[in-house]
Amino acid sequence: MNSKSVYKVPNGKLLKIILDYDEKNNSINSVRITGDFFAYPEEAIEAMEDELKNVHLDEDSLLDKINNVIQNKNIEFIGLDAKGLTTGILMCVK
Amino acid sequence: MSEKWRLLKTGANTAAKNMAIDRAVLVANSLGKVPPTVRFYQWNPPAISIGYFQSLEDEIDIINCRNLGVDYVRRITGGGAVFHENELTYSIVISESHKKIPKNIMESYGRICGAVVKGLSNIGIESEYKPINDIITGGRKISGSAQTRKMKTVLQHGTVLMDVNVEKMFSLLKVPDEKIRDKLISDVKDRVTSIKHVLDKDIKFDIAAKAMKKGFEEEFDIILTKGEITNMETELTEKFERGCFGNQEWNHKR
Repeated sequence: MNSKSVYKVPNGKLLKIILDYDEKNNSINSVRITGDFFAYPEEAIEAMEDELKNVHLDEDSLLDKINNVIQNKNIEFIGLDAKGLTTGILMCVK
Repeated sequence: MSEKWRLLKTGANTAAKNMAIDRAVLVANSLGKVPPTVRFYQWNPPAISIGYFQSLEDEIDIINCRNLGVDYVRRITGGGAVFHENELTYSIVISESHKKIPKNIMESYGRICGAVVKGLSNIGIESEYKPINDIITGGRKISGSAQTRKMKTVLQHGTVLMDVNVEKMFSLLKVPDEKIRDKLISDVKDRVTSIKHVLDKDIKFDIAAKAMKKGFEEEFDIILTKGEITNMETELTEKFERGCFGNQEWNHKR
């Protein structure tokens, strides 16, 4: 199932998510994180997209995974955060 | 004794070449081959640049770009889509470890935008830095910037609007809902301004560039000395033009 969301992160930038998800398992097949935010290093966003594959579409699982990748890849977001990214992804399945 | 940095004035180039030069200077500086560099430039043909994370298809009306002879390119920096026509574009490349540049990314935006604020002040425009990446005057945006850090080096580039054509800009950008196109245009007209609009007269690019040069010198307590692109940078520029910014795979990658 393909879906999109557009979410203005509070005090941040405009996040646009393109999501392909498995309805039966309620999990991510693939996700594309786009928008006018900043992330350092930039290439880490592709790693984030990879790491989110198969993650269950609930707030706790997403937040855990995203925070984990931020820590492991030493990502600094500006205009976006783990909570905002989670919200943007979950908006695709509402 | 003030430190000497290099000033590059590269005139008007294609979108791919402009982005390739910024990246080439970043690489050359990271290898210690060139001093900290401030560059002023323009775009010919006019172009839209999109942020690294943006979806090209989602942001740009490619057919209208082709019809109007407008170029497009994906930047290596984040941030939003920018229509580059009547503007002064600046870039600064400096080592992350240079004492004049804050380690903290947001603080470094503030410092570099401080140079642009001083530059605007030199042509009689009072403005202020508005985080994350804007400079505003009278409540309206006159400049936007984007920064990346690669190879322990900072590259920040940004636009200073000399004039702005919001209708043309919106004919080149996709809008989420066609029904609200007119509303978006009028909103952006209320939120964006330009040197021409504020001063009610045209300012020549060279005058604006001179004011910006002085702004950078004042902010960083340095002397900007006119320099040229080195042979190494020319080679890197060609490489990045071919392999990256002029390459459709790069531009359409997200």
